[in-house]
Amino acid sequence: MPGRTFVDFVSASNAVVSPGHSAPIQFTFRVQQPYHVNSSQPLTEELIPTQLHFSLPAEVAVGKLQYPAGQLMSFPFDPSTKLSVYSGDFVIRGLIMAPGSAASGTYTIHGELKYQACDNNSCYPPKKLPFTFNVNIGSKARSRTRR
Amino acid sequence: MKAKIIPALLWLVLASGWLALTASSQDAAKPAPPAADQQQPAGPQSKAEPTPSPLPTPEPTPEPPKKGEAAPDFTLADLQGHNVQLSSLKGKAVLLNFWATWCDPCKIEMPWLVDLQKKYGPQGLRIIGVAMDDASDKEIAAFARKMGVNYMILKGTEKIGDVYGGIDRLPLTYYIDRSGKVTDVIEGLASASVIEDDIKRALGKANSTAATGAK
Repeated sequence: MPGRTFVDFVSASNAVVSPGHSAPIQFTFRVQQPYHVNSSQPLTEELIPTQLHFSLPAEVAVGKLQYPAGQLMSFPFDPSTKLSVYSGDFVIRGLIMAPGSAASGTYTIHGELKYQACDNNSCYPPKKLPFTFNVNIGSKARSRTRR
Repeated sequence: MKAKIIPALLWLVLASGWLALTASSQDAAKPAPPAADQQQPAGPQSKAEPTPSPLPTPEPTPEPPKKGEAAPDFTLADLQGHNVQLSSLKGKAVLLNFWATWCDPCKIEMPWLVDLQKKYGPQGLRIIGVAMDDASDKEIAAFARKMGVNYMILKGTEKIGDVYGGIDRLPLTYYIDRSGKVTDVIEGLASASVIEDDIKRALGKANSTAATGAK
């Protein structure tokens, strides 16, 4: 049963990388109104963090993920307690890396955002948002030699 | 003459034997008579292919129980592994609260439920917290201890979620009177005073004598 969703995948930036090199990439997500999701570092251990996962081919690695800082907010259900959350659009940055042996071509990568959403008086079971994006691995860059 | 008759007779025997064989194999190929629950078109029987059995249709998720309806019975395990059946609490008013350790609004109402269990327990209130959680029993028990929970905690399952119409929002609270009927349903967090009013309604529905304390 699909159930409702609370976060949409907006886009992944253009990812072009040469074998043996890395390139930055960013993923934009949008939390639907009037919901919020826990940030990647919620303030209590029972809360479920937002996390990004990938199914990767041998030719591509994704690393150095940088999650945005959560907004500290309190909600009507407990005005005295702060929660670290994402609402609206948020961007997760990372590095795409290709080993030196990677064959050139376009690779479709499958990602999944795990999150748990709430609104002002309820919380909803954890969800997984699947998405895909392309990585272009170019031909090997020419090495420059010093004279 | 004899020489001509014998081969002819032989041929006749062989031919009739062949005919008998083909007739019996046709009988075997005929479709079996239809089962009593299969629909058959009206009209003369034809040599149609056997009707394939229909695929089993999945059972639809029941609708959530509404006010005035009987609360669906269930059996769930508590954190010590003992089974608890809802219908064993007939005669008591039950506050059935679906919650999870990751649900902040659920944590807000827990201290209120603790106070209300103390206050209305002697009048026949039983609060049941059903943990709809992936956390281990140990983690749920530790969490309940931390919150000072003084009421029954049961481990929720996907089946109980289906029985109660699909639980996709927490907290979710059913108020059940002494006869087992739903008196109120609250989706999300409600104020302590609303919860207390609903408890009084569940307590007073079937046995006003108990509610007023009169003998």
